[in-house]
Amino acid sequence: MKLLRKEFTLCMHPAAYVMLLLSAMVLIPGYPYGVSCFYMALGIYFICLSARENHDAAYTLTLPVSRRDAVAGRILFCALLELVQLLLMGLFTVIKYAIGTMPNPAGLDAGLALIGEGFLIFTLFNLIFFPIYYRDINKPGKAFAAGSIAVFLWVAGEVVATYAVPFVQYVLDTPDPAHMSEKALFTLGGLALWAGGTYSVMLRSTKRFETADLSL
Amino acid sequence: MATMGLLSVRGLTKTYPEFTLKEITFDLREGMITGFIGRNGAGKTTTINSILSFVRPDSGEVLFRGVPFEEDPRKIREKIGFVSAGMTYYTRKKLQTITAVTKSFYPAWDDAVYRQYMQAFHLSEDKTPAELSNGMKIKYALALALSHNAELFMLDEPTSGLDPISREELVEIFLRLKDEGKTILFSTHITSDLEKCADRILFIQQGSLMADEALDDFRDGYRIAEVVGTVPQELQEASHGISRTRDGSTVLVLRDAYPAEKTREATLDEIMVHLEKEAEA
Repeated sequence: MKLLRKEFTLCMHPAAYVMLLLSAMVLIPGYPYGVSCFYMALGIYFICLSARENHDAAYTLTLPVSRRDAVAGRILFCALLELVQLLLMGLFTVIKYAIGTMPNPAGLDAGLALIGEGFLIFTLFNLIFFPIYYRDINKPGKAFAAGSIAVFLWVAGEVVATYAVPFVQYVLDTPDPAHMSEKALFTLGGLALWAGGTYSVMLRSTKRFETADLSL
Repeated sequence: MATMGLLSVRGLTKTYPEFTLKEITFDLREGMITGFIGRNGAGKTTTINSILSFVRPDSGEVLFRGVPFEEDPRKIREKIGFVSAGMTYYTRKKLQTITAVTKSFYPAWDDAVYRQYMQAFHLSEDKTPAELSNGMKIKYALALALSHNAELFMLDEPTSGLDPISREELVEIFLRLKDEGKTILFSTHITSDLEKCADRILFIQQGSLMADEALDDFRDGYRIAEVVGTVPQELQEASHGISRTRDGSTVLVLRDAYPAEKTREATLDEIMVHLEKEAEA
């Protein structure tokens, strides 16, 4: 908890707040909504970049914490931001339905399945970004480039899938409340993957960070 | 049997492509100021970074009160205050914000002590590190370390880039800390600061620890011969480094290696400079 508070108080980058607000992009008609998850990935990159500029690792490691604690603090904080992003997307989706919605020709419709898709996007990003980042925390750009390319390819694949994969086209990419049980299962599956994936990312990142020499 | 210090460093070795820290071994004695000297790039910061686990040494170990650092890093870090002139954290955050986060990690944090030092150092919590001079940044880092009741202060070049008055002020603070029983490792290449406060000296040269002794013994072990013109052969043979001056040379010799009437006392600065010259030659 103390490290989460430290991350929030000292490391939270103002851009990350803006990225959270970009969850409102689900209100845009005809847009690949998965891209709003990319913006949170960008926010995470800004946090890591600003941490480097502020000698955050040196500060953290002079506190009575281990390297494992430091990694867990950062990854849990970012995971929390991802969760808030998806909750906000859900909230804006409810607003969108209240206003009146129409089918999205550019990827999944705003709805429950989109939240599941968001979990999958964040799982993919975390699996790629953090292990590369913790190999050398002074080079977050390299990790972000790899993570964001993967996210863009995934989102592009999602758009194609809404036309080419029958389960996505006729079940997931439908306005709620159609096929709610399938969508709920998909979203729960996404949540489980995200939670498990993020935990495994924490272990792999810790392993890398434990042996890294920090040029501070 | 050798007495174990507050902090014991045993055989610390770290190899980089162009530099090797070689088997560094020393003890920091409790309640003393130990000066850590050596030219830029000699390995002072690498040693400190290895002690604090910022870099992972290839071999060796660090013990705090006999307990290996890796065995209980959290507890040991509670007892260490690290201050580095080259490092400023969160430059745009107010000091009160940084303090609020920092103190939450230390069970032994004492707010009264913190207020006392902030007042004594004329520091305002409404300022950000970016608004502080280098000397004030060091003082803030010291105030934090003092408030969590650190027993050991690791100071990496704390007086670098400071004007003589600010350096003097800091040296006085270090002496006060020593009076309170705190232990200080003070790394610097400004040896005149150490002449004023250090009890012991660690001298590192090209990654190897060349001296670990009382400052007075270290200084008294050498003498300086001032020569106008060419250095005589017998002096060259006794030399531990020759440095050019406007009128001739100064030569560092061991205390008993040359007639005392032809030499004078050496300063720490002169000893370091001449020994470096000898190593280069």
